Amino acid sequence: MTSFVTATLIGVSLGAQYALLALGFTLIFGILGVVNFAHGGFYVLGGYAAYWFVSAAGLPYPLAVVLATLVTGILGYLFELLLIERLVDDHLATLMLTLGLYLMLSTGILITFGPESPLFEFPLNGTLRAGPFYFPIANLVVLAVCLLAILGVYALIFRTDLGRALRALADDRQVAAAQGLRPRLLFPLAFALACGLAGMTGALVTPILSLAPHVGDPVLATSFLIVILGGLGSIGGATVAAFLVGLVEAYSSVYLGGSKGALALFVLVLIILVVRPSGLFGRIAREA
Amino acid sequence: MLIVEGLDVRYGGITALRGVSVRVDEGETVLLVGANGAGKSSLINAVIGTVPSVAGFVRFQGRDLGGMTVDRRARAGIGYSPEGRRVFASMSVLDNVLAGAFGVGRQRQREAWDWLCSVFPILAERQAQPAGQLSGGQQQIVAFARAMASFPPLLLLDEPFLGLAPVWIKNISDAIRALQARGTTILMTEQMARPALKLATRGYVMRGGEVRREGPVGVIRDVALAEEYL
Repeated sequence: MTSFVTATLIGVSLGAQYALLALGFTLIFGILGVVNFAHGGFYVLGGYAAYWFVSAAGLPYPLAVVLATLVTGILGYLFELLLIERLVDDHLATLMLTLGLYLMLSTGILITFGPESPLFEFPLNGTLRAGPFYFPIANLVVLAVCLLAILGVYALIFRTDLGRALRALADDRQVAAAQGLRPRLLFPLAFALACGLAGMTGALVTPILSLAPHVGDPVLATSFLIVILGGLGSIGGATVAAFLVGLVEAYSSVYLGGSKGALALFVLVLIILVVRPSGLFGRIAREA
Repeated sequence: MLIVEGLDVRYGGITALRGVSVRVDEGETVLLVGANGAGKSSLINAVIGTVPSVAGFVRFQGRDLGGMTVDRRARAGIGYSPEGRRVFASMSVLDNVLAGAFGVGRQRQREAWDWLCSVFPILAERQAQPAGQLSGGQQQIVAFARAMASFPPLLLLDEPFLGLAPVWIKNISDAIRALQARGTTILMTEQMARPALKLATRGYVMRGGEVRREGPVGVIRDVALAEEYL
């Protein structure tokens, strides 16, 4: 029972992190039709940026997280505006561009910070005790911030003019533009939002998990898997799938052992995709 | 208000429009009639900018639209209700309509929504429903309202009656009259010319990518009758 509760909490924490990553990934796919292979790179960059702001610039950790979010968001904005924008409808070209950016980001980090994991620890330690359960305070704080950020993303997408415009562009770009919505203004903003979310997640999570130049690889793989599971481009689907994947990972590592966790996850995804090929929340086909 | 002069449009090697000249004056409702493939939709698309023209020009309120992106043309004051309606299927009716009024401020969005609901009561009834779940006629109303949400001086309606039941044809006709009463200038295409002729003031008959006849609605009716568009 104790291990079940602990595993659930870990799963929910993982799910919240994954949701932030997957939301950015699915937004970019849904709105621009681009699969952002650099997504994991922005996660790593966010982690290293926060590390640099704390260790080299001596800033408090919360401020470092905010700055890391801004840095990755601005970089994402520029990347879309200067490179992706020209080739946005060319799937192969954007694949090469984002993959190339990922290699540049991770290599740049490797050269700048070296291959070893830097000492980057969450400023709060200690555990919260409730009866037989122990919860690390750092994880609870990260969970709370992630949940708030998810709510923020939802509010932005479903409650603001900007979010409405982004959803319209995702639904039918040509008709949306013909209603006066500006792809050239909104695409870079969407990219900035997605990359900023990845960077923020990196800044929040790497002090707890690990920070190294290559930690973006599994992030990309997991984001991809969640977004396919939830239905490409679906915001609600990505959120539900993220928590599902987080919980499956946590339970399987507790009850099946580490290496079988990934196997369990892929079997689950395989089954879901056989039953529902468009994912859990694949888009409703347009009625003529 | 809108002047199209000597317009050529090609898709790949196929000529869709050849030397087309059309004008729409303020307050008019101009109808383009013709068979499928006559070039009606190509002309609408060339005006809003979703297909490029290779010769000729499109001038709106004295401004040459050549080289302007689709979204700039829309913001210049051209509303567009596309063929096949193309509502944002996953978005609510309210979000569909307000997507047509981006960045004008809550107050003006509110006013636009209230006016549109007074003309099209179905909007208020279906406000929160995803537009993809509506019937064809209801979707057509949503597409109109979306195009009208910023109150553009010129409205392009591409095949507004296509595939609709008779009861909806009457509803849509009433809706178009409400827009006319507001002073909106309209350029519309229609294969089902009969209901559209009741709304138009002037028209053009198109065939094979060219304008064959133009004139007041009575003349267009006679030509359309002779060529069996009715």
